[in-house]
Amino acid sequence: MLEVLEALFLILTAVMIIYIIRHYIFTFAVLRRTKSKTTLDSAPSPKLEHSSIVTVLIPARDEEKVIGRLLQRMTELTYPKEKMQVIVINDASSDETGNIAEEYSRRYSFIEVLHRDKIIGGKGKSAAMNSGFQHSRGEIIICFDADYYPQKDILEKLVREFADRQVGAVQGRVVVLNEPENIVTRLVALERIGGYRVDQEARGNLGLIAQFGGTVGGFRRDVLESLGGWDESILAEDTDLTFRVYLAGYKLRYVGDAECYEEAVDNLKAYWTQRYRWALGHMDCCYRHSVNVFLSKNLRTKEKLDGLLLLNVYFMPLIALLAFVVGVFLIFFGSSFIVGVLWFSVPVSFYSFVGNFAPFFEVSIGAHLDGRTRTQWLVPLLIFTFLFNVPICMKAFLNLLASKILRRDHNVWVKTRHLGNGNRYIGN
Amino acid sequence: MIPNLTQTILILVLGTPLLILIVFLPALIELRKPKDCGPRMILGKMPEFYVQPRVVAIANIEEEIKFDYSLLPRLLKVIEVLPSLEI
Repeated sequence: MLEVLEALFLILTAVMIIYIIRHYIFTFAVLRRTKSKTTLDSAPSPKLEHSSIVTVLIPARDEEKVIGRLLQRMTELTYPKEKMQVIVINDASSDETGNIAEEYSRRYSFIEVLHRDKIIGGKGKSAAMNSGFQHSRGEIIICFDADYYPQKDILEKLVREFADRQVGAVQGRVVVLNEPENIVTRLVALERIGGYRVDQEARGNLGLIAQFGGTVGGFRRDVLESLGGWDESILAEDTDLTFRVYLAGYKLRYVGDAECYEEAVDNLKAYWTQRYRWALGHMDCCYRHSVNVFLSKNLRTKEKLDGLLLLNVYFMPLIALLAFVVGVFLIFFGSSFIVGVLWFSVPVSFYSFVGNFAPFFEVSIGAHLDGRTRTQWLVPLLIFTFLFNVPICMKAFLNLLASKILRRDHNVWVKTRHLGNGNRYIGN
Repeated sequence: MIPNLTQTILILVLGTPLLILIVFLPALIELRKPKDCGPRMILGKMPEFYVQPRVVAIANIEEEIKFDYSLLPRLLKVIEVLPSLEI
């Protein structure tokens, strides 16, 4: 029995060490590239082509506090309006979302509103996006969630990447707007810094699997059509599309200078709901795509390896917890010397590398690269969000397991409520 | 097996609070007197908007201006009516 536990402990530790190495590689890759970029930042952008018609899809359900802000921003974008089509998908809203969108639609010809009533609507973001996609005419489809607030030239930055025919999708950077609100928003902002400034950037630079985040990104129309649009049976439709794009032989490009504000969740209950949906959906993607990724002829070896590690990332809190429990048992009830040595690496790796969106040292480096040294002081508090994510991932895993065994639907979309508290941080 | 149980417990009892204090002290300082609560300013081709750095601890913050965008359509309707009030 003891030997079995020791073997298990060694396997779990090996998995964690693989992730540690992966994230250290990411961090050094970004640091190295940042150091070597000399005149690139000051060089003029390549000539941006405005020939592509772009459709912006904005799914919105009960977003009256924020939809007006985003639509106003759409009118301020520098992309030619005659080449833009903005479609607001009013998905069975019970507030003024539809009326606000209609008002903008009356004033601006490039803004359209698609209303979904309570019978056909309210079935999740994927269904809403597919509905909007059917009415789109753009060659490039860009997605924004209703609580987002993009740069004025974000469409140019995203669209120009499609000049490369191999690029099937793009993803921009997300920055938390309501960061000063409270400690929850400040910690979420830190997660975003690590996840985008380092993790996504590194995966893009190293030619690995960059991830579509569901918003501030987009697709080539013909690619989306060939993939059949958004899969309405899965909660993490963004992760699912990411892997379907890669498996179809296209690439997803991360565009770090295409930035957009978001309103982060500002309380633990909303955090739980949102992250539970992400964990469950992501684990479901792992179940659906792992074998395909492993066997794909369209992916290079390093892409396959990174893809598998990415698919399994939401299992890491569970693996770390299991390793911790087994390690404690072994240290008290007899173990070999090597397990005793490795036991000390568990708390180190438990703290230093595990995090839902980026390990803690990635977050620190990301904050440093953003010039936000002082905000690095909050990094130790991320241990609490990590600990909070352990039961989230545990519940997601058990629900997914039960749904697969019992063949029941687990995809109930519980949307994040946005209160518009990011407005106070924008000034003209 | 732990070689010296007493020593281990002593280290844990004394060392753990010290370790916690060392690890979390910077975070507590930043939360108490924040110097960078964001949000990070993002720029486009030109500085398109100014993001107010907000220090939570400032005591003399008066009314915070909040614009409720859901009022915008109603405000526009009011503005439309105004010219017709001219004599």
